[in-house]
Parts: sequence; C-alpha cells; structure tokens
Amino acid sequence: MPDKEVKIGEIAVTMARDSLVASGVGSCVVITLYDRQLKIGAMAHAMLPSRDGAGRPAEEGQRDKQYKTQDVRYVETAIDEMLKKIEAQGTKRKDLEAKIIGGANMFSAFESDIGKGNVLCAKKKLKKEAVKLVGECVGGSQGRSVEFSLASGIVTVKTKF
Amino acid sequence: MLDILKEINKKAALNTSRALSKLTGRRVNVEISKAAVKKVEKLSPLIDPEEMVVGIYLPITGGLKGASLLIFPKETAFTLSDLLMKREPGTTRKLTELDKSALKEVGNILSGNYFTILSNTLQVKIIENIPRFSFDMFGAIITQIISNFAQEAEKAIIIEIEFTFKPVKLKGYFLVLLRLEEINALLGSLKELRSDRSS
Repeated sequence: MPDKEVKIGEIAVTMARDSLVASGVGSCVVITLYDRQLKIGAMAHAMLPSRDGAGRPAEEGQRDKQYKTQDVRYVETAIDEMLKKIEAQGTKRKDLEAKIIGGANMFSAFESDIGKGNVLCAKKKLKKEAVKLVGECVGGSQGRSVEFSLASGIVTVKTKF
Repeated sequence: MLDILKEINKKAALNTSRALSKLTGRRVNVEISKAAVKKVEKLSPLIDPEEMVVGIYLPITGGLKGASLLIFPKETAFTLSDLLMKREPGTTRKLTELDKSALKEVGNILSGNYFTILSNTLQVKIIENIPRFSFDMFGAIITQIISNFAQEAEKAIIIEIEFTFKPVKLKGYFLVLLRLEEINALLGSLKELRSDRSS
C-alpha cells in the first residue's frame, strides 16, 4: 500500500500495511499513537493547541463545543478523535504508545511561540488521557518531515539540514 | 474588491521594479503573473511542502492588522543574492548573513511598496514591523504564518501574487494576509468615497 499523507488539520487511523507521512512540519505538531500488538496506528497533524486561541488548553466550559465541531486542526480535539477512532478498532488505552514531533519556531523573534504551545498542549492532553509518551522530537527552528511505519511503529524524522 | 486590489498590485509592481533596478544597478522588471484573493484555508499548495525556500515575513499593525510573506524558491533566492551582491549569477551555493540581509531588504522594498499603496488607497494608517527571515521547507514556513493568523482571526483572506523578475527570469510569491472583516469595511468605505466623488 502507498504512503498516506496526513495533511494539516487531518487525522488518520490505519493498519500495518500502510505508512503515514506528514511533510513540511513547522510549528504544527504531529502526534502518533501505536498499538504494538494489533499493529494499528494513528497520526494527527494539528496546527493550534485549542479553540481558545491563546495557546492554552481549553477551559472546561469550551470543551463541549469543541467535541461537537470535531475540528482536528486543534491538538486537543485531534487527540480525542484519534483515541475514539483507534479504540473503536479494538485497541486498549494501556497498550497505546504516543510520540510527538514538530512544534518548531521557524522565525526568530516571532510574536508568539505557537510551536511550544502545541507541544505543551499535546503532552498535557496525553497525560490526562493516560496515554504513554515514549518519544519526542520537538522544538528548535527547523522544519521536519515525518514517516510513521505501521509495521514496526518506527517514526523517522527528517530535516533538510 | 478585485479591481481595487488589481490597481494596488500594478502600482506596487511598478514601484518595486524601480527600487530594485536602483539596488542591483541593472534593469529589473517585476511582473505579476497571477493574482488571486482567497480565504486563508483555501490557500493552494503553491510549492511542494518539502521544497526549500526563503521566507521573509513582515507583520503589520495600525489600522489594518495582517502580514506579508515573500517566498523565493531556493534557486531564485541564490540567483537574486548574486544580483544584489553584484556577483555572477550561479555563484551562490550557501546564503551568508549578508545575503540574508540583502534578501530581507528585498522583502522590505516589496512589502513597503505594497503597504504604502494599500495605505494610501484605503486611507488607513499601516505600521510595518521589521522583516523576519527563514530558510527551510515551504510547508513548515507557511503553516506557522497561517497558524499565527488563525489564532487571532477565524476569517482571513490571502492575496496570492506570483511574480517574475526580468531579465533573469526568477519566480517568487508574495502573500498578503488580512482580516476579512477589516478589509471588507475599508473597501466598503472606499467604494462610498469614490461614488461620492463621481456624483
């Protein structure tokens, strides 16, 4: 099966024969989930932490609205949606391993560090949902391309430098 | 909206041609080959997300909030650096700090011209900030700018301009991000002003 490109604001859940890829990741964050037993994986390519817009996780009151919109451009909603879809395939939360990639700041002296906000939000959300974080390649000022092999669970990160 | 923006694009291209001709010491002609106004989420994939580009980002504040992003594919940036630094085209293999600074100056000139004309046409004060430079994958650069804008404004437009430099044919992209609400209000008042004058 060919690689599946997960574009900005998308999520994908798939089985062992596929690879999931995300190209040119800057301040966005890519979150991968993997079940080694079932060889099922998921990838999200999110652009902002949450709908409240300030780079912080959403307040409780705002969360219901986000669930309804299922807008996976946001880290929190993307993780919720991935968990819902991957668990529907029979995987257990305790068997899931998560990795986070991205969250760079491409311009020095940029107004706000969206990348950092995305990474912090992803870590907080994974912890809250009791998903093990087993690897990360985050921050810095370089763009990244990500390839997630569903047969092995290996995530390969490339930069152009 | 399109007619007014076409007018602004034309004037900006003319002024930029003059300024760059002075800077390089040779006749430079900036031509707009394509221009479109789109909702920010509909921005077309101009370039492969993994292609290396130079991005010069310049935010604006004042009566209009937004930003411009000038994109040069790697080879264009190298040749343009040669022209600006008065080297033989094809010399540059790696951008030095001086090259980066010269390219930022091109960003300043192009954005400065564009925003001055936009400011005069719409009769609104625009304050330009300092340009910021990045040399990396196109996808990584563009998404940071869009994400930053999406944090503040749900609805935004993007003016997408493809231009060429002549006689050495170099292609680049100039993107202007503006809040839909603000630009609509300003264009509305401009229309009124023009119809008052003509009546």
